Amino acid sequence: MNKWLSNVVLAFALSIGLGAGSAIAADAPSGTFKFADLVKLVTLDPHKHTGGGIPYLTPVYESLFQRTPDDQIKPRLATGFDATGLKVNITLRNDVRFSDGEPFNADAVVANLTRAMELGVQRPLSALESVVATGEYSVEITLSRPSPSIIVSLAGIAGMMVSPKALDDPALDRNPVGTGPYLYNADQSREGEVRVYTINGSYWDPDAQGLERIEIWEMPDNTARLNALSTGQIDMGAWLSSPQALQVSKSDGLTLIRRPGGFTYTIIILDKDGGVIPAFADKRVRQAMSYAIDRQAFADVIQFGLATPAVQPVGAGHWAYNADLAGKYEYNPDKARKLLADAGYADGFSFTMPSIAVFLSRTEALAGFFADIGITMNIETIEPGTLARRSRTTDFPATNLVWVINTDLSNLPSLYLEPGAAFNPFKVAPSAKLNELAAKGAANFDLEMRAPAYREMFEVIADEAFLIYITSGQQLVGASDKIANNPTVVFSPGVFSPIWHGLRLNR
Amino acid sequence: MLRLVGQRLLALVPLLFLVSILTFSFTALLPGDPVDLIIGDEGTSEQYEMIRERLGLNEPVLTRYAIWLGKAARGDFGTSFFNSVEVWDAVMLRFPVTLSLTFAAALIAIIVGVGAGILAALHPGSWIDRLATLGATLGQAIPNFWFGIVLAAFFAVNLRWFPATGYVPLSESPIEWLRSITLPALALGLSASAALARQARSAMVGVLQQDYIQAARAQGLSARRVIFKHALKNAMIPVVTVLAFQINVLLGGALIVEQVFSINGLGSLAIAAVRQQDIPMIQGIVLVTVAIVVVIQLLTDLAYGYLNPKARPA
Repeated sequence: MNKWLSNVVLAFALSIGLGAGSAIAADAPSGTFKFADLVKLVTLDPHKHTGGGIPYLTPVYESLFQRTPDDQIKPRLATGFDATGLKVNITLRNDVRFSDGEPFNADAVVANLTRAMELGVQRPLSALESVVATGEYSVEITLSRPSPSIIVSLAGIAGMMVSPKALDDPALDRNPVGTGPYLYNADQSREGEVRVYTINGSYWDPDAQGLERIEIWEMPDNTARLNALSTGQIDMGAWLSSPQALQVSKSDGLTLIRRPGGFTYTIIILDKDGGVIPAFADKRVRQAMSYAIDRQAFADVIQFGLATPAVQPVGAGHWAYNADLAGKYEYNPDKARKLLADAGYADGFSFTMPSIAVFLSRTEALAGFFADIGITMNIETIEPGTLARRSRTTDFPATNLVWVINTDLSNLPSLYLEPGAAFNPFKVAPSAKLNELAAKGAANFDLEMRAPAYREMFEVIADEAFLIYITSGQQLVGASDKIANNPTVVFSPGVFSPIWHGLRLNR
Repeated sequence: MLRLVGQRLLALVPLLFLVSILTFSFTALLPGDPVDLIIGDEGTSEQYEMIRERLGLNEPVLTRYAIWLGKAARGDFGTSFFNSVEVWDAVMLRFPVTLSLTFAAALIAIIVGVGAGILAALHPGSWIDRLATLGATLGQAIPNFWFGIVLAAFFAVNLRWFPATGYVPLSESPIEWLRSITLPALALGLSASAALARQARSAMVGVLQQDYIQAARAQGLSARRVIFKHALKNAMIPVVTVLAFQINVLLGGALIVEQVFSINGLGSLAIAAVRQQDIPMIQGIVLVTVAIVVVIQLLTDLAYGYLNPKARPA
């Protein structure tokens, strides 16, 4: 009896103890989250960062603002903003320190934004003329032109804050110092293989720290990343449309998370006046090219069903998406041939399109569609990494690029439409209507006010057909079912890795 | 012997010099531009010029080479174009990984290839011989990266016997090292074993027909003694030649197989460097690889001396 009683007492005591322990464990940061990115790390200096690889930065650095999963902008290191004309006043938190002990204040923001502007790599900051401290915790930005996306930009890499002391470190690209919930652990990281982040003991918002450790693995090979995910070596991985991404979606125990975002694949007619290829000056020819493309087949075959047909730069769910355009330019080769004949090109014409190796399957498919209506598209393969630069020259009458869906639409005119736009090398001025809509879209911070202008702009662009959109991709992330169903795993638009703040593995 | 080693190591200096000229020339001829990648798709022409200037890319090729050579002669191989990582540090970090993979693969190639070749030679025309020939033909026909993908899918993803990706250094955990190296080494080593098997078989068949082997057998020596004491050593001379060549091939193959298994070796570094046109990094990788190949040739010559006294240096 005594033994039975002591066992009951012991079991009771253990259950209380364990219960208490579980309660503590649930709140204390625990576990390791392993994420694999598809690009290798180049730099941990946000001001010099280009292209992919944002997941390597986000555990360490915080931005002035943040993009919530439902694409709202909220303050992070800022407390608010007020914009009047070309002046943007931002107020800052007064309880934040960088992980090296340096205070976060107006001077730190000025030092960061000034350096980023001088380096000139972060394109959104090209709209900044100056930034000055107006108090210990407030700054004033002066814009050189209206920039409705400035706050959105400051919620991304352009708004990431580096410790002012670390800005002088020539090896900042390997010794990042920010205000974020996690610290870069150089000792445990292995160059070229994995980056390890451990908890920042002096973080200003400890409730947001749910993990003990984050590992970001550098895995550019699609098969290796798929195998690592399938065997539990990683919890989550970034994907572009590929057979391996399709495999993730079909594997038991794995989920392919599809979010709005990604890239819209686009043909850009550069020689809009027809100086080199006279046919390009005729709108009917450009429209014929758009009708000649079987977008659904393209999405299903070339992009493995992981993209959707597109006739505008953004996909369904985006704040500026124009639902009225759905169904425009349905595949219709007969109509395409008729338009070509009407324009006087019944016998077709030929032009040269550049292609990088990874786009060859795309350009070859397009060449096939165009050949079907009598247009010969010769493909010239060019070196990887040179497509964007060559597309800024008059080397080719047309090109093919992707539009990053999360780019603010105010950048569309400066990239493609204005006479001085990056991808308008023949310097053709846009129509008055497009100019008017571009100005309207950029004249406000409120997305609801901006959306009608862009929706109308997409209609005009579709009609003029200089920009022939083909498919819109999605932001693809592969994860184990358990991780995919974890309610604390949420994403910010445009970023492959989850939002680390508040992410806990025991949910 | 020491003289041979000294001579070879001295000869390495002009060879590396020549190779550095060739590498620099080839990188200068490449049509792409690393600055495009540094500034990104939206970079301006001002940024482009600024960064070209900073990296010294506006200098004539000869000037750039002379600056690089001057620093390299003092042991400074420079830093990557893209970040502050020192070329020497990056290469040396990955060198043991690739070396480890290459030698594990070579070991598999020797055990499987030479073993199968000898067995086939001892039973010419038998099913063992035919099986070895079939294996050797398949081994040479199947690309090692494809074989790696199949091995990973079956033994790592399905059976979970081995990790699908990554590499654990031997110093960290010998067991985990063995687990992490097995599949990539098999992928590499089995295809190399095919060439060794064919060479070992034909060499062994030839040696076994020699008069001195018949004489040894006539003297009543055991089959084991005849094979291992008298035949094997002579049969190994051409095999060593093929092995030296195969190790060089393995080194090249490792570059691809490392990708499949996400191993952070010289291959992964080389592919990233070539894609980015990170010229200082490419130079560092090529020079170290050439040095490895020269050392392998030296070891081959020393092995000749062991196997054949006539080939020993005076």
